[in-house]
Amino acid sequence: MSRMLKLAAAVSAMTLFPAMLATASAENLKVVASFSIIADFAKNVGGDRVDITTLVGPNGDAHVYEPKPADAAAVAAADVVLVNGLQLEGFLQRLVEASGTKAPIVELSKGGEVLKIADEPHPHEEDDDDDHAAGEAGHAEGGQHAHEEGHHHHGEYDPHAWQSVRNAEVYVKNIADAFCAADAAGCDGYRANADAYGRKLGALDAEIRAAIAGIPADKRSIITSHDAFGYFEHDYGLAFLAPEGVSTESEASAADVAALIRQIRDDKASAIFVENITNPRLIEQIAGETGLKVGGELYSDALSDAGGPAATYIDMMRHNVATIKGAILGS
Amino acid sequence: MRLPFLSTAALALALPLQPAASLAADLSAWRLFVADRAEPKVTVVDALAGTILDTFTLREPASLVRSESGRTVFAVQGDAGVVTAIASGISFEDHGDHGDIDVEAPKLTGTELSGRKPSHLVEHDGAFAAFFDGEGVARIISEKAVLGGSSDVSEVSTAAPQHGVAVAYGAHVLLSEPNAEKPDALPVGIRTVDAKGVQVGDVAACPDLHGEASSGNLLVFACATGLLVVTHGDGAPQIRHLPYADGLPEGKATTLLGGRGLQYFLGNYGPDKVVLIDPTADKDAFRLVDLPMRRVHFAVDSVRPRFAYVFTEDGQLHQLDVVAGRIANSLKLTEPYSMDGHWNDPRPRIAVAGDHVVVTDPLQGKLHLVDAASFARAGEIAVPGKPYNIVSVGCSGRIHETE
Repeated sequence: MSRMLKLAAAVSAMTLFPAMLATASAENLKVVASFSIIADFAKNVGGDRVDITTLVGPNGDAHVYEPKPADAAAVAAADVVLVNGLQLEGFLQRLVEASGTKAPIVELSKGGEVLKIADEPHPHEEDDDDDHAAGEAGHAEGGQHAHEEGHHHHGEYDPHAWQSVRNAEVYVKNIADAFCAADAAGCDGYRANADAYGRKLGALDAEIRAAIAGIPADKRSIITSHDAFGYFEHDYGLAFLAPEGVSTESEASAADVAALIRQIRDDKASAIFVENITNPRLIEQIAGETGLKVGGELYSDALSDAGGPAATYIDMMRHNVATIKGAILGS
Repeated sequence: MRLPFLSTAALALALPLQPAASLAADLSAWRLFVADRAEPKVTVVDALAGTILDTFTLREPASLVRSESGRTVFAVQGDAGVVTAIASGISFEDHGDHGDIDVEAPKLTGTELSGRKPSHLVEHDGAFAAFFDGEGVARIISEKAVLGGSSDVSEVSTAAPQHGVAVAYGAHVLLSEPNAEKPDALPVGIRTVDAKGVQVGDVAACPDLHGEASSGNLLVFACATGLLVVTHGDGAPQIRHLPYADGLPEGKATTLLGGRGLQYFLGNYGPDKVVLIDPTADKDAFRLVDLPMRRVHFAVDSVRPRFAYVFTEDGQLHQLDVVAGRIANSLKLTEPYSMDGHWNDPRPRIAVAGDHVVVTDPLQGKLHLVDAASFARAGEIAVPGKPYNIVSVGCSGRIHETE
């Protein structure tokens, strides 16, 4: 039942049976978010009109997540399913098929500035004529399901687009659009929430730029576990190296690690960090062999739990910047 | 590629106007490997054409295990003391936006794993561990070696003969721990050893261990008290015990299957129930599903993650919706097969081959095909003898022909 119909039914029920108000008002928009960062965006846009189920929770790794029957049940019952796209959620197609859902699968990276892996940035819209982007457009605008042919293959694009705050603003706009399409009665509220949150993101973007500007240019090379910070590098001017690629699915080879260690010694990287979604052992090994001290934990693909330092997207970005800057310059 | 082994109905030129020098076509190939209950043989059936491709003679009637890749089928012959490897003839190479399929004749690879009373054969990460109950020894070999015809194995021993199991888990091996007080009883735990055979950590208690399966990132063993759940830990496998929920009736799972596409486990639980298990769930980790009659066999659907199948002794095949946790459809297929009598009497077994669910009917000498989408009968394939244990291999892919 659409939100509008739900509300109409609720109003009718309220008129006839005021005692049913609590039950009727409980029928919020049912939203599934593929991972914790998207859930935080959705919460900021949807407020108390949405009930959010998060598939890959705090500190979880969407690259290697295995969906469960309960996830399929949640997707089946959803009014809107929010995903990143760009092949981050390798589990998506089989989950959607298993669920049989009719809900729109909304790829939030659509319309953002998307980076090819180890390549120059290019606008996402440029791909609208090819079969990959056509599938994505169908998800967001046509309410179609995800299909294998609608995804980028061979890891062509870096999926970590949220590491650019400007892209995060696009995610938020896409969420507002999706919520408005599913619940026209709440649209004004969603737009207002998105605008307010967008202003916070704009301020965050400026805050990060100011913070990074304080780091000398010759100290901006740092090491993390996997290639999750390409967008941060592109937008804010830090250089990130990592033993693992854009997905944590494949472990780094010994040759890759050796090459990275040589590169660190040549480039004199300023700091090295573990990530919240990966095993710290490899980073600790590299730190030991290069003499770098582990500068702390960065949050790449997932938020922390509620009591941690990165419980929201804004907190996550601030924490990462503070951690990086503290390790390079001394906190 | 040898075309005589293809189902011509499954072959369709995808790009007929391409230059002759680079023709590509899409091909589906599914094969059924059927072990006879009375005769020492495996019959290979083209599941799409409904024809018999070949028959391999064994030492005794076998149980069958297929590899994750589908390239290998093992025939485990317990009393004969041998595990025979058969190359399925179907291989698939993932190219991201498409996959290439190669189809050849099935054949014996030449690999035979010998020892006293082989029982469970488990694959993990491309390594097979065959446990020989009569010796308490696991023999481990890679698929690459098996397809090359090698019988060179690495061995890991336990303390005593037992009805055991071993899993090659990365750089470690997980081994069932024999019951020292009752040598004939089921194992009592899982011991982890490293590549040199040195024990790592404590033995994880698992009374009456019988049954293991993998799904997604998880490996589990079934115990009288619940499950042992194994994940990749920091430098060594991490094992935790998941107890059965208090609300479950008396019983335990002794056979487990791992879901494909969705991470879950399906197990037996008493004679007329199955249990769906999500070891990661905060609540409802165990969901019991009542069956109308005693259970004969069950299987998961590797193509349609939402479904599994259960055959009951009244001759019905049931489609189990693992998301909803209930029987979604039932279909009468055979005459009744009572569960009274010996556990290994000839009774139906289930496999999933592409669009079809296949059920053996050993007393009638045939296979029943059920359309997986409509859950309606879709035909029969006659197989001489008593077709019993069955596995399927196959896929769809692209073939490239150059002239």
